[in-house]
Amino acid sequence: MTLDEIIASRRVLLCVGSGGVGKTTTAAAIAVEAALRGRRTAVLTVDPSRRLKDTLGLGRLDERARRVPLGAGPGHLDAMLLDVKRTFDELVRELAASAEDAERILGNRLYQNLSGALVGSAEYMAVESVYRLVEDAAYDFVVVDTPPSRHAVDFLDAPRRLLAFLDSRALAVLKNPTSILPGATSRLAQLLLSSLLAGVERFTGIGLVREVSEFVAAIESLTGGLRTRVAHVAELLGSEATALVLVTAPDARLTRDTRDLAATLGARGLRIGGVIVNRALPAALFGAAAPDPGPPVGVPPGLGTRLAECFAELRTETRRQETTLAPLLAVAGAPLLASVPPLASTPVTLAGLRELGGHLFPSEPATRTRSAGR
Amino acid sequence: MSRGNHRPSGDPKLRLARQRLVIVTGKGGVGKSSVAAALAQAAADEGRRVLAVEIGRGGLSRLLGVEEPGPDPTPVGRSLSCVTIDPESALGEMVHGMMPLGVMARRLLQSTTFQIVAAAAPGLPEYLVLHRLSAFLDAKRLGRPRHDLVVVDAPASGHSLPLLGAPRALGALARFGPVADFLGRADAMLHDAATTAVWIVTTPEELPVREAIELHQALREDLGLTLPPPIVNAFPRRRFTSRDQGAIAEAAAHAGAHPYLVGARLEVARQRDAVEQIRLLRSAVRRAPVRLPYLPGGTGEARGLTDLTHAVARQAGFGT
Repeated sequence: MTLDEIIASRRVLLCVGSGGVGKTTTAAAIAVEAALRGRRTAVLTVDPSRRLKDTLGLGRLDERARRVPLGAGPGHLDAMLLDVKRTFDELVRELAASAEDAERILGNRLYQNLSGALVGSAEYMAVESVYRLVEDAAYDFVVVDTPPSRHAVDFLDAPRRLLAFLDSRALAVLKNPTSILPGATSRLAQLLLSSLLAGVERFTGIGLVREVSEFVAAIESLTGGLRTRVAHVAELLGSEATALVLVTAPDARLTRDTRDLAATLGARGLRIGGVIVNRALPAALFGAAAPDPGPPVGVPPGLGTRLAECFAELRTETRRQETTLAPLLAVAGAPLLASVPPLASTPVTLAGLRELGGHLFPSEPATRTRSAGR
Repeated sequence: MSRGNHRPSGDPKLRLARQRLVIVTGKGGVGKSSVAAALAQAAADEGRRVLAVEIGRGGLSRLLGVEEPGPDPTPVGRSLSCVTIDPESALGEMVHGMMPLGVMARRLLQSTTFQIVAAAAPGLPEYLVLHRLSAFLDAKRLGRPRHDLVVVDAPASGHSLPLLGAPRALGALARFGPVADFLGRADAMLHDAATTAVWIVTTPEELPVREAIELHQALREDLGLTLPPPIVNAFPRRRFTSRDQGAIAEAAAHAGAHPYLVGARLEVARQRDAVEQIRLLRSAVRRAPVRLPYLPGGTGEARGLTDLTHAVARQAGFGT
């Protein structure tokens, strides 16, 4: 599988990886390339640095679809920001039996906290947004910059976990938290738990027990619809239509995180389509297998020495990068799709993004002729 | 290595000598953990008893050579120990402390429901982390503080704001009682610039610098913290003079893509970019950042960390 094949044939491309690897930019550059090749593309991004809107040449970037000025052509690109809270709110409105039910849930203070904390709901809502875009007839290719999650797998695992939660006793227990303890009959146990929860309540200022019960009662009314939806979404993620691409950078900590992620994804039966490495020095020039050509003829000896020093350092750095990446590629069991050299990884304009596209898709540079509006 | 870093030795850029608590934060991937490890090691080499703290699963303990970090300090050198604060097990400790029967506490902690409720309680993990930190600072042995200096490898920017802001955010909820008292003390501790330093680490690259500037603003304006100058890690040295660069361009016109010349131009571009980023950072925070050198071999191995530790020690005015 190559990146060319992915953007030609898949419906969803998920960029996963830790924060700080250039995931947002990579996703944007892939989306731009797909649009230039004629696909009707959407890029759903989290854009932590809030810089992508300038790079894409947009005046605003929010949860509404905005058209990226790529000039005329069969394809197009819309960019939008992932808004977890809003997606969850919309889902509640859609699934609730009545408008009053919906408002009761949305107004619950615990919901307001929980919509962030409830079994990876942030991740689930990202997936939910993807599902909506895939269903949208305006798009045939959706590129997703996944939220930087402490355990990035939460994102992909979100539907399954949410289903497990809905099917578990947890909801029933939440209505009456003291029933968690084995000795539901034991008054001592109940007393202790109540005092613990009361402590937490005092500390958070939330009438936790009461609001939890209210919340659960309200949300139970929508679990049926939610369950169906979650199952659909899970199916989409695991299907052939979705490609998972790991984005990383040759840094020990980042690749270690990415390697753990790859292992976890593998264990969940999710196949990794490939790996993109940002900020990688070109092995063809500085790799262990590349020859040391000696200083170029005609440079002054002092400069020749400095050039040799510089070359030696770049070789050291390249060797370190290769050592760092090797175990990741082994665990991912997936091909290296692209290596992007340093500096090219952080474009600040649409033209720069297209240049980055040239590194991601070295085989087909022809599309870069379409005139870009700035 | 320190060619561009001259400074009067009486005025160290990294004020590390009298601090008791150092919190290192920054965007992921900028070498935050390496800088934290080097700070801890440099202070320990100076004879201070240092505790290096990582929160959750970080890179700090591994850098210091601890494979399985635990909740109790593990010695890693003559005056350096390392410890992990895991917010989840900190929650466990709190529950165990509150519930007299271990079996009951365990049962409660295993319950998904309890985990959800605990996660929904705003600020609880942050509170627990601060509680552990302050216990380490207060720990005494033979009447002296057990640790002269506590160095924290804090969560990346996005997560460090809730941690540092927890005393105020939670203080607004809990007004009286022991929790409120603790929060007041924690807030005072974080705001005491004489003993506490919150160091923002960045690399001289656009996105990390941008995030460092935002974090600096948020910590200063929203939380009212007095911050030391940020640390710019992996700053590339200026190897090629302007004349060199002219000669390189000329040679490239003849020799084409000679790896030496491609490499030199890459380094020059990186260096130029780094200088520009430092300028942006400097004008945004109105302080000259502290520079730590770029190490081609990385800091993942003992050698690299030693080099970085020496650079930190120089900037802190140690051993001069």
